[in-house]
Amino acid sequence: MALARRELLQAAFGLLGNLGVGAAMGHYTGQRTPGKAKRVISLFLAGGPSQVDLFDPKPLLVKYQGQRPGGVELRTERQTGGLMPTPFSFSRRGRNGVEVSDILPRLGAVIDEISVIRSMYSFNPTHTPASSLYHTGTILANRPSIGSWVSYGLGAENQNLPSFVALNANGPAARSAFLPAEHQGMPLNTADLEPEKMIPNLRNRALDAAAQQRQLDAVQALNRRFNESFGPDDYLSGRIASMEAAYRMQFAATDAFDIRKESAETRALYGETPLGNSCLLARRLVERGVRFVSVGSGDWDDHKGIEAAYKKKIPAMDQAAAGLITDLKRRGMLEETLVVWGGEFGRTPVSESGTGRDHNPYGFTMWVAGGGFRGGIAHGATDDFGFKAVESRVSIHDLHATMLYALGLDHTQLTYRYAGRDFRLTDVFGTVVKGVLA
Amino acid sequence: MLRPLWLTIATGVSLLGQPVDSKFFEARIRPVLATHCYSCHSAKSKAPMGGLVLDTKDGLAAGGVNGPIVAPGKPAASRLLTALRYADPHLQMPPTGKLAAAVIADFEAWIAAGAVDPRAAAAPGTVTTPLRGMSVEAGRQWWAFQPLTPAAAPPVRQAAWPRKPLDAFVLAKLEAGGFRPSPAADRRTLVRRAYIDLVGFQPTYEEVEAFAADPSPEAWPKLIDKLLALPQYGERWGRHWMDVARYGEDNATAEATNQPYPYAWRYRDWIIEAINRDVPYDRFVKLQLAADLMPDAPRNDWRALGYLGAAPVYHKDQRLSADVIGGFLADDWDERIDAVTRGLLGMTVACARCHDHKFDPIPTKDYYGLAGVFASTARTERPLFAVDPAVEARYLWVQRRLIDLRYSANLLTNEASTVVGSEQRVAKWKAEIETLKSEVLTLQARYPALVASLERYWAPPEPRGAGPRRRGNAASTEPFMNAVYDAAQYVDGTDAHYTFLDYRPGEARDVPVFRNGNVATPGAIVPRHFLSVLARGDNRLGPGSGRRELAERIFTDAAPLAARVMVNRVWGWHFGRPLAATASDFGVQGEAPTHPELLTYLAGEFVAHGWSLKWLNREIMTSSAYQQASRPRPEMMKADPTNALLWRVAPRRMDIEAYRDTLLRASGRLDHTAGGPSQDIDAPENVRRTVYGRVSRNRLSALLKNYDFPDPMQSSGGRDLTTTSLQQLFVLNSQFVQDAAAAIAKAVHDIPTEPRRLRELYRRLLGRDPNPAELDLARRFLAKGTLTEYAHVLLSTNEEILWP
Repeated sequence: MALARRELLQAAFGLLGNLGVGAAMGHYTGQRTPGKAKRVISLFLAGGPSQVDLFDPKPLLVKYQGQRPGGVELRTERQTGGLMPTPFSFSRRGRNGVEVSDILPRLGAVIDEISVIRSMYSFNPTHTPASSLYHTGTILANRPSIGSWVSYGLGAENQNLPSFVALNANGPAARSAFLPAEHQGMPLNTADLEPEKMIPNLRNRALDAAAQQRQLDAVQALNRRFNESFGPDDYLSGRIASMEAAYRMQFAATDAFDIRKESAETRALYGETPLGNSCLLARRLVERGVRFVSVGSGDWDDHKGIEAAYKKKIPAMDQAAAGLITDLKRRGMLEETLVVWGGEFGRTPVSESGTGRDHNPYGFTMWVAGGGFRGGIAHGATDDFGFKAVESRVSIHDLHATMLYALGLDHTQLTYRYAGRDFRLTDVFGTVVKGVLA
Repeated sequence: MLRPLWLTIATGVSLLGQPVDSKFFEARIRPVLATHCYSCHSAKSKAPMGGLVLDTKDGLAAGGVNGPIVAPGKPAASRLLTALRYADPHLQMPPTGKLAAAVIADFEAWIAAGAVDPRAAAAPGTVTTPLRGMSVEAGRQWWAFQPLTPAAAPPVRQAAWPRKPLDAFVLAKLEAGGFRPSPAADRRTLVRRAYIDLVGFQPTYEEVEAFAADPSPEAWPKLIDKLLALPQYGERWGRHWMDVARYGEDNATAEATNQPYPYAWRYRDWIIEAINRDVPYDRFVKLQLAADLMPDAPRNDWRALGYLGAAPVYHKDQRLSADVIGGFLADDWDERIDAVTRGLLGMTVACARCHDHKFDPIPTKDYYGLAGVFASTARTERPLFAVDPAVEARYLWVQRRLIDLRYSANLLTNEASTVVGSEQRVAKWKAEIETLKSEVLTLQARYPALVASLERYWAPPEPRGAGPRRRGNAASTEPFMNAVYDAAQYVDGTDAHYTFLDYRPGEARDVPVFRNGNVATPGAIVPRHFLSVLARGDNRLGPGSGRRELAERIFTDAAPLAARVMVNRVWGWHFGRPLAATASDFGVQGEAPTHPELLTYLAGEFVAHGWSLKWLNREIMTSSAYQQASRPRPEMMKADPTNALLWRVAPRRMDIEAYRDTLLRASGRLDHTAGGPSQDIDAPENVRRTVYGRVSRNRLSALLKNYDFPDPMQSSGGRDLTTTSLQQLFVLNSQFVQDAAAAIAKAVHDIPTEPRRLRELYRRLLGRDPNPAELDLARRFLAKGTLTEYAHVLLSTNEEILWP
């Protein structure tokens, strides 16, 4: 069903299977893992969402409220005070009764599709290096992002669209570094829903379609004459093909990037918020064969007033993320699509300035839905207060390794030779977390 | 309850009363090793983590790169136990989580009882050893390091073909394969090739015809000399160097301690001027590493220090621990080591940060020998004008100190008040700022510009909404440059909550080997020294930072390598493919040169001709090899599709700089103003040469990125030219290309007849006249379309962007 739908779409947008030029080709030559996922939507909550308020209930925070019992003396970015319980209640949801904050009613309703990883940990308490680590596996600002690696490894499914798109996500989230430029995330700001405003140079403002077709015909006629007189050359013929592809991309992208073409019901499902719109666009893109969509979401750096802030912004996030899972599921796409949710770190169970929480790389929650991950489970655990991951700890490298595994890629074999050595997304680290895979 | 440790030692009996013997190992130790350790520490893996192998008796006894992990009978001295206990934050195993206390107690008992390992010792010869690179001694024989003893030009059959000695090397290779070179390119192709190559844009129709009309054999060398003398030559070849020098004007992020470089453009201008003056390559490099330490370098040449002074650095948030800040600092040194060794020496020394190089003759201590040079070199803004040396030294220290004090004071002032002792700290820092301010103000009469440059650090913060803030990426024309000076850098971790960097001007610092690259596990201190495999005699660097001696060594001890690396790059910039394809890696893992004797010959001549880049350009371009046609020959496309044998000059597309500059020039809009602050390359009104566009490490222009501009975070080993749809969207739809088309159409608009208008359009865009068939196509297009649209057609063609 899903396949049929995608083939239909590809036919509609003129996919040329053997075009082979101007589109990213898969370069992975290692052994395929059993993973069946084909694409990824990564929701990045920049700033770091709070695990103890959302997915990792810690009743002991109430008992020790305001105190600093042993085990919470971990150095974070700023100075912190005593333990601060969550203002939100938790309920058991789904067939396995995974506990989820009641401020997330919609995600709670789809928890059976979600693998909650409560034992994530990172290595740096500051946004920039931690974000870099999250996206590229290192705090250094010169390595490719996971999206670029996936694009490099698997190539494009749809030659008329870029293979990696970064919505409201810049810097390390879209970086291709030393990987070829075609694997960089195409950075887009979704503040304006009109594709022509979103994508630079997508359409020609001076020419109508007929005039442009005429122009393209003239260019290609001259190109063919020139190529004939010059002789066979890969670059020259490749450029003719990529010119055609660019021409078609104008129309394919104008459609693919336009969520206004979705039904009112679907738009309402995601909530017509900035994040909801981005999630809907992400689904539209992966549906049309984009490999990796990185979705950035605003400001999750709540150093103070976290309760009020969450009451205000969590409902939109809850609806967008749950809407995405629901929509993928009903379209039969969830099995082949990884949806990843998280931030560069979590937040402290101890308070900062009485009402907020500081950065916490020692332990935090991320979740993955679809793509062969087991739904309805909570993997690993933090300590009694939710500060440090202690049980079945999962590093960013482990998660990256597991995501690649789910995509059929062995993280030790997805390599690129640069500056004298074979680079990997996971460098010399990473263990596939089998416990979260179905 | 755990029993006291001495009890288990005394009895050799575990907590459960089981004897600690072979059976104990098999029952309680080996399964744990197998489950938790073998996945990383197995003799079966090619590169066991930390060189540690636990699935063999010998491996467990030998330990890893940091030595033994088990001291039989001495649990307290066994690093295995430290790791299992998670006692040391930097040595925690297994990484997936601490094992149960009972399991750790088993290991303790086992070690206390002598760490009996009943497994069979490996048969001789089957012991696995960690992968090791070439030894330093063996490395001295490596081809790239050999002296530049000139090889005699090889004999060739087609004796009339070589014009230059280098041609004989090319021809001999071709003849050995039974092949012939391509015929000479026609004159119109040659002139086009030379313009794009040397000045970075296509010739005008008149320039093409002037050359085509001059049949004298001297016309070609004269054209080359003319182009080499144009100021645009430096802009073109300076940009090549900027790829190697990872030129950028800011950092990957812009935070308090890694602000954009307002004077990076002065470094770019210096590069262009130096290339135009043909400053010998050895001096060109030495100035970039150590101009401030060279007695004969005028201060104006200190702009060259942007190579180090505008290098990528990471933000060092002072709220982070000393270890974390120390790690960032070490990352900065690492960046310098990587840029210098790959860029100048074609060696991947940064691979030796955590372990000896796995392939090349580079021990870890050599890495840290270089790290000390950069640990003794601090980034700073130096005045362009001469200043009393004592005053300048103090000024440079005060500048860094003020940046840190101001940043810390702001940080704490703006932060929530839960921080213990924040008021006292802020007060202390503010008092220090005031003291430094009074000191600086005494310079007002003599050096007002120095004082002005520091005012921002004591001025009260601008209230929000008080008008436009100084934009982060705005370049400045104040009389300063982003440079470096000799000062040792240390991390001051004395305040448990605030970490300062401690600069000690005039001091040098030798750094320890950081085991596994981890600053928290320092090993023995390594004196600053040059790479052992290249050094002759005493290889210590100093007495100062050692920058100057490092620069000298590159052109004495390592001169053959440095010359080969640069000649190889230059060859690549001329031909599109260097002789050794991995231009920044001449090591074991790199690709060997296709013509090693040619590379050696040309490198030797390069040195003999005073490291003159213009000499090298001329030598290569006047060769027969360079003047070959670029057309495909079916038999050769089959025999050597990558043109490794140089049977032709392979055609390629122009890079973004040449394409953009050509469009501007063809449309009569190119602004040739040289130098000065950079401008946004994506702004349609920017009509200056592309080399003067802003190069941001934070937000690199989408246009540059789409056209394979190298990541300015790292030294580039050459550009890979890709062909993508996003590039063609730029050609089809961008305002820039449409503006170019409109300007050209406007320029020919008043020419009376359509054929003449079209001829002029062809001349301006393709540098030639249209043939009748092309005129016919154009006329049919113009029946419906406009002249602007047709100009757009022509500048979108393959012919326009091809570098033949």
